[in-house]
Amino acid sequence: MAELVESPVEDLDRLGLPDRPWVTIVWNDPVNLMNYVSYVFRSYFGYSATEAERLMLLVHHEGRAVVATGGREQMERHVEAMHDYGLWATLSKADA
Amino acid sequence: MIAFVRDDGGVTARLTGDEAAALRNLSGQLVAMLLDRSTQVQGDAAAVLYAQAGIGGGEHAPLDPALARLLPDAYLEDPDAASEHRHLTERGIVDRKIQNARRLAADLDSDRSPVVVRLDEAAVQAWLRTLTDLRLTLAARLEIVEDGDEGRADDESDLAMLTIYDWLGYLQGSLVDCVSASLDERDATDA
Repeated sequence: MAELVESPVEDLDRLGLPDRPWVTIVWNDPVNLMNYVSYVFRSYFGYSATEAERLMLLVHHEGRAVVATGGREQMERHVEAMHDYGLWATLSKADA
Repeated sequence: MIAFVRDDGGVTARLTGDEAAALRNLSGQLVAMLLDRSTQVQGDAAAVLYAQAGIGGGEHAPLDPALARLLPDAYLEDPDAASEHRHLTERGIVDRKIQNARRLAADLDSDRSPVVVRLDEAAVQAWLRTLTDLRLTLAARLEIVEDGDEGRADDESDLAMLTIYDWLGYLQGSLVDCVSASLDERDATDA
Protein backbone atom coordinates (compact mmCIF):
# COMPACT_ATOMS: atom_id res chain seq x y z
CA MET A 1 0.00 0.00 0.00
CA ALA A 2 1.30 3.37 -0.93
CA GLU A 3 2.02 5.83 1.78
CA LEU A 4 -0.07 8.92 1.92
CA VAL A 5 2.27 11.74 1.05
CA GLU A 6 1.48 15.28 1.91
CA SER A 7 2.11 17.43 -1.13
CA PRO A 8 3.25 20.99 -0.82
CA VAL A 9 0.62 23.42 -2.04
CA GLU A 10 2.80 24.36 -5.01
CA ASP A 11 2.68 20.83 -6.34
CA LEU A 12 -1.08 20.55 -5.94
CA ASP A 13 -1.53 23.76 -7.86
CA ARG A 14 0.61 22.51 -10.65
CA LEU A 15 -1.80 19.66 -11.27
CA GLY A 16 -4.13 20.51 -14.09
CA LEU A 17 -1.76 23.10 -15.43
CA PRO A 18 -0.44 21.89 -18.74
CA ASP A 19 2.46 24.29 -18.88
CA ARG A 20 4.78 26.02 -16.47
CA PRO A 21 3.36 27.49 -13.28
CA TRP A 22 3.07 31.08 -12.20
CA VAL A 23 5.23 33.04 -9.81
CA THR A 24 4.69 35.94 -7.44
CA ILE A 25 7.53 38.47 -7.67
CA VAL A 26 8.24 41.15 -5.08
CA TRP A 27 10.20 44.15 -6.38
CA ASN A 28 12.59 46.40 -4.55
CA ASP A 29 11.46 49.87 -3.58
CA PRO A 30 13.32 52.61 -1.70
CA VAL A 31 10.59 53.07 0.90
CA ASN A 32 9.70 49.83 2.61
CA LEU A 33 11.83 49.00 5.63
CA MET A 34 13.91 45.84 5.45
CA ASN A 35 12.49 44.54 8.72
CA TYR A 36 8.95 45.15 7.42
CA VAL A 37 9.55 43.19 4.20
CA SER A 38 10.98 40.27 6.23
CA TYR A 39 8.03 40.46 8.60
CA VAL A 40 5.54 40.30 5.71
CA PHE A 41 7.29 37.26 4.20
CA ARG A 42 7.25 35.54 7.60
CA SER A 43 3.76 36.35 8.69
CA TYR A 44 1.92 36.11 5.36
CA PHE A 45 3.76 33.27 3.60
CA GLY A 46 4.81 31.51 6.79
CA TYR A 47 8.52 31.47 5.90
CA SER A 48 11.07 30.91 8.65
CA ALA A 49 12.95 33.95 9.90
CA THR A 50 16.03 32.79 7.99
CA GLU A 51 14.23 32.23 4.69
CA ALA A 52 12.30 35.49 5.00
CA GLU A 53 15.57 37.33 5.58
CA ARG A 54 17.16 35.62 2.57
CA LEU A 55 14.27 36.59 0.29
CA MET A 56 14.23 40.15 1.63
CA LEU A 57 17.96 40.53 0.89
CA LEU A 58 17.42 39.09 -2.58
CA VAL A 59 14.78 41.76 -3.22
CA HIS A 60 17.10 44.41 -1.82
CA HIS A 61 20.23 43.43 -3.74
CA GLU A 62 18.86 41.90 -6.94
CA GLY A 63 15.87 44.21 -7.26
CA ARG A 64 13.34 41.37 -7.18
CA ALA A 65 12.68 37.91 -5.82
CA VAL A 66 10.26 35.10 -6.52
CA VAL A 67 8.42 34.62 -3.24
CA ALA A 68 5.82 32.02 -4.29
CA THR A 69 5.15 29.56 -7.10
CA GLY A 70 1.88 27.92 -8.05
CA GLY A 71 -1.40 28.31 -9.89
CA ARG A 72 -2.42 31.61 -11.42
CA GLU A 73 -5.38 32.32 -9.15
CA GLN A 74 -3.35 31.66 -6.04
CA MET A 75 -0.59 33.98 -7.29
CA GLU A 76 -3.21 36.65 -7.99
CA ARG A 77 -4.38 36.37 -4.38
CA HIS A 78 -0.78 36.68 -3.16
CA VAL A 79 -0.21 39.79 -5.28
CA GLU A 80 -3.41 41.35 -3.96
CA ALA A 81 -2.28 40.60 -0.39
CA MET A 82 1.14 42.13 -1.07
CA HIS A 83 -0.56 45.30 -2.37
CA ASP A 84 -2.58 45.38 0.86
CA TYR A 85 0.76 45.39 2.71
CA GLY A 86 2.14 48.11 0.42
CA LEU A 87 4.74 45.85 -1.19
CA TRP A 88 5.22 46.14 -4.92
CA ALA A 89 4.37 42.72 -6.34
CA THR A 90 3.47 41.27 -9.72
CA LEU A 91 2.74 37.82 -11.09
CA SER A 92 3.92 36.21 -14.29
CA LYS A 93 4.57 32.82 -15.78
CA ALA A 94 7.61 31.10 -14.36
CA ASP A 95 10.70 31.24 -16.56
CA ALA A 96 10.87 28.17 -18.72
CA MET B 1 7.42 60.44 21.23
CA ILE B 2 8.15 57.09 22.75
CA ALA B 3 8.01 54.62 19.87
CA PHE B 4 6.28 51.25 20.09
CA VAL B 5 7.28 48.84 22.84
CA ARG B 6 5.76 45.51 23.79
CA ASP B 7 3.78 45.08 26.95
CA ASP B 8 1.68 42.12 28.04
CA GLY B 9 0.02 40.87 24.92
CA GLY B 10 0.04 44.17 23.07
CA VAL B 11 2.17 47.06 21.89
CA THR B 12 2.16 50.61 23.17
CA ALA B 13 3.46 53.95 21.94
CA ARG B 14 3.27 57.38 23.46
CA LEU B 15 2.78 60.33 21.09
CA THR B 16 2.58 64.00 21.90
CA GLY B 17 -0.71 65.72 21.13
CA ASP B 18 0.89 67.40 18.11
CA GLU B 19 2.26 64.12 16.76
CA ALA B 20 -1.12 62.42 17.16
CA ALA B 21 -2.84 65.34 15.43
CA ALA B 22 -0.34 65.21 12.55
CA LEU B 23 -0.90 61.49 12.12
CA ARG B 24 -4.69 61.90 12.19
CA ASN B 25 -4.39 64.61 9.59
CA LEU B 26 -2.19 62.49 7.31
CA SER B 27 -4.60 59.56 7.62
CA GLY B 28 -7.45 61.86 6.70
CA GLN B 29 -5.58 62.96 3.59
CA LEU B 30 -4.87 59.36 2.67
CA VAL B 31 -8.56 58.46 3.04
CA ALA B 32 -9.53 61.46 0.90
CA MET B 33 -7.07 60.46 -1.83
CA LEU B 34 -8.37 56.87 -1.84
CA LEU B 35 -12.04 57.94 -1.79
CA ASP B 36 -11.27 60.17 -4.74
CA ARG B 37 -9.98 57.15 -6.64
CA SER B 38 -13.13 55.15 -5.77
CA THR B 39 -15.32 57.95 -7.06
CA GLN B 40 -13.34 58.29 -10.28
CA VAL B 41 -13.72 54.66 -11.17
CA GLN B 42 -17.36 54.41 -10.17
CA GLY B 43 -19.41 53.55 -13.23
CA ASP B 44 -22.95 52.48 -14.03
CA ALA B 45 -25.59 50.79 -11.86
CA ALA B 46 -24.00 47.37 -12.34
CA ALA B 47 -20.67 48.72 -11.14
CA VAL B 48 -22.38 50.04 -8.01
CA LEU B 49 -23.78 46.56 -7.30
CA TYR B 50 -20.39 44.97 -7.80
CA ALA B 51 -18.88 47.62 -5.57
CA GLN B 52 -21.08 46.45 -2.71
CA ALA B 53 -19.46 43.07 -3.08
CA GLY B 54 -16.02 44.68 -3.06
CA ILE B 55 -15.49 44.06 -6.75
CA GLY B 56 -14.55 46.77 -9.18
CA GLY B 57 -11.77 49.13 -10.05
CA GLY B 58 -10.28 51.24 -12.77
CA GLU B 59 -9.12 49.97 -16.11
CA HIS B 60 -5.70 51.50 -15.83
CA ALA B 61 -3.21 52.36 -13.13
CA PRO B 62 -3.86 55.75 -11.53
CA LEU B 63 -1.97 58.69 -13.06
CA ASP B 64 -1.08 60.14 -9.68
CA PRO B 65 2.29 58.62 -8.76
CA ALA B 66 1.32 58.07 -5.12
CA LEU B 67 -1.91 56.26 -6.02
CA ALA B 68 -0.07 54.36 -8.75
CA ARG B 69 2.37 53.11 -6.12
CA LEU B 70 -0.41 52.13 -3.70
CA LEU B 71 -2.33 50.38 -6.48
CA PRO B 72 0.26 48.97 -8.87
CA ASP B 73 -0.46 46.78 -11.87
CA ALA B 74 -0.46 43.08 -10.99
CA TYR B 75 0.92 42.15 -14.42
CA LEU B 76 3.99 43.97 -15.68
CA GLU B 77 3.97 42.94 -19.33
CA ASP B 78 0.33 42.16 -20.00
CA PRO B 79 -1.83 45.32 -20.00
CA ASP B 80 -5.06 43.39 -20.66
CA ALA B 81 -4.52 41.00 -17.75
CA ALA B 82 -3.47 43.94 -15.55
CA SER B 83 -6.64 45.80 -16.44
CA GLU B 84 -8.85 42.78 -15.82
CA HIS B 85 -7.22 42.05 -12.48
CA ARG B 86 -7.51 45.69 -11.44
CA HIS B 87 -11.19 45.63 -12.33
CA LEU B 88 -11.76 42.69 -10.01
CA THR B 89 -9.60 43.67 -7.07
CA GLU B 90 -8.87 47.38 -6.91
CA ARG B 91 -12.00 48.41 -5.06
CA GLY B 92 -11.42 45.81 -2.38
CA ILE B 93 -7.84 46.97 -1.87
CA VAL B 94 -8.92 50.63 -1.76
CA ASP B 95 -11.71 49.85 0.74
CA ARG B 96 -9.34 47.95 3.03
CA LYS B 97 -6.77 50.74 2.86
CA ILE B 98 -9.48 53.25 3.80
CA GLN B 99 -10.66 51.10 6.71
CA ASN B 100 -7.10 50.74 8.00
CA ALA B 101 -6.43 54.47 7.80
CA ARG B 102 -9.69 55.24 9.60
CA ARG B 103 -8.80 52.73 12.28
CA LEU B 104 -5.48 54.46 12.86
CA ALA B 105 -7.16 57.87 13.07
CA ALA B 106 -9.74 56.48 15.51
CA ASP B 107 -7.01 55.00 17.72
CA LEU B 108 -5.50 58.49 17.95
CA ASP B 109 -8.74 60.26 18.68
CA SER B 110 -7.89 61.98 21.93
CA ASP B 111 -7.58 65.54 23.19
CA ARG B 112 -5.03 64.53 25.77
CA SER B 113 -1.29 64.85 25.48
CA PRO B 114 0.57 62.59 25.45
CA VAL B 115 -1.69 60.16 23.58
CA VAL B 116 -1.00 56.62 24.72
CA VAL B 117 -1.75 54.21 21.89
CA ARG B 118 -2.26 50.58 22.83
CA LEU B 119 -2.82 48.20 19.93
CA ASP B 120 -4.19 44.66 19.79
CA GLU B 121 -3.31 42.31 16.93
CA ALA B 122 -5.97 43.57 14.53
CA ALA B 123 -5.03 47.18 15.17
CA VAL B 124 -1.34 46.37 14.65
CA GLN B 125 -2.14 45.09 11.16
CA ALA B 126 -4.11 48.23 10.32
CA TRP B 127 -1.30 50.42 11.63
CA LEU B 128 1.48 48.55 9.80
CA ARG B 129 -0.36 48.88 6.50
CA THR B 130 -1.40 52.50 6.96
CA LEU B 131 2.06 53.65 8.08
CA THR B 132 3.37 51.96 4.92
CA ASP B 133 0.76 53.64 2.72
CA LEU B 134 1.55 57.02 4.26
CA ARG B 135 5.28 56.58 3.70
CA LEU B 136 4.74 55.41 0.11
CA THR B 137 2.57 58.46 -0.52
CA LEU B 138 5.06 60.91 0.99
CA ALA B 139 7.92 59.25 -0.89
CA ALA B 140 6.06 59.68 -4.18
CA ARG B 141 5.50 63.38 -3.40
CA LEU B 142 9.17 63.78 -2.45
CA GLU B 143 10.29 61.94 -5.60
CA ILE B 144 12.01 59.16 -3.69
CA VAL B 145 11.96 56.52 -6.42
CA GLU B 146 15.23 54.62 -6.14
CA ASP B 147 17.43 53.33 -3.34
CA GLY B 148 19.65 56.17 -2.21
CA ASP B 149 17.22 58.97 -3.16
CA GLU B 150 17.15 61.41 -0.28
CA GLY B 151 14.04 63.22 -1.41
CA ARG B 152 13.36 66.62 -2.88
CA ALA B 153 14.27 69.41 -0.48
CA ASP B 154 13.44 72.57 -2.43
CA ASP B 155 11.50 74.46 0.20
CA GLU B 156 10.17 74.47 3.75
CA SER B 157 7.23 72.30 2.80
CA ASP B 158 9.52 69.61 1.36
CA LEU B 159 11.68 69.70 4.47
CA ALA B 160 8.62 69.34 6.69
CA MET B 161 7.46 66.36 4.62
CA LEU B 162 10.92 64.77 4.83
CA THR B 163 10.88 65.13 8.61
CA ILE B 164 7.47 63.45 8.78
CA TYR B 165 8.62 60.73 6.39
CA ASP B 166 11.61 59.90 8.60
CA TRP B 167 9.50 60.07 11.73
CA LEU B 168 6.93 57.65 10.28
CA GLY B 169 9.78 55.30 9.35
CA TYR B 170 11.04 55.36 12.91
CA LEU B 171 7.56 54.73 14.30
CA GLN B 172 6.88 51.90 11.87
CA GLY B 173 10.31 50.36 12.42
CA SER B 174 9.61 50.14 16.14
CA LEU B 175 6.22 48.52 15.50
CA VAL B 176 7.75 45.96 13.13
CA ASP B 177 10.43 45.15 15.74
CA CYS B 178 7.66 44.44 18.27
CA VAL B 179 5.67 42.10 16.03
CA SER B 180 8.82 40.37 14.74
CA ALA B 181 9.84 39.68 18.35
CA SER B 182 6.41 38.09 18.87
CA LEU B 183 7.02 35.84 15.87
CA ASP B 184 10.46 34.92 17.28
CA GLU B 185 8.82 33.87 20.54
CA ARG B 186 6.18 31.84 18.72
CA ASP B 187 8.87 30.07 16.68
CA ALA B 188 10.92 29.37 19.80
CA THR B 189 7.85 27.83 21.47
CA ASP B 190 7.08 25.68 18.42
CA ALA B 191 10.66 24.45 18.14
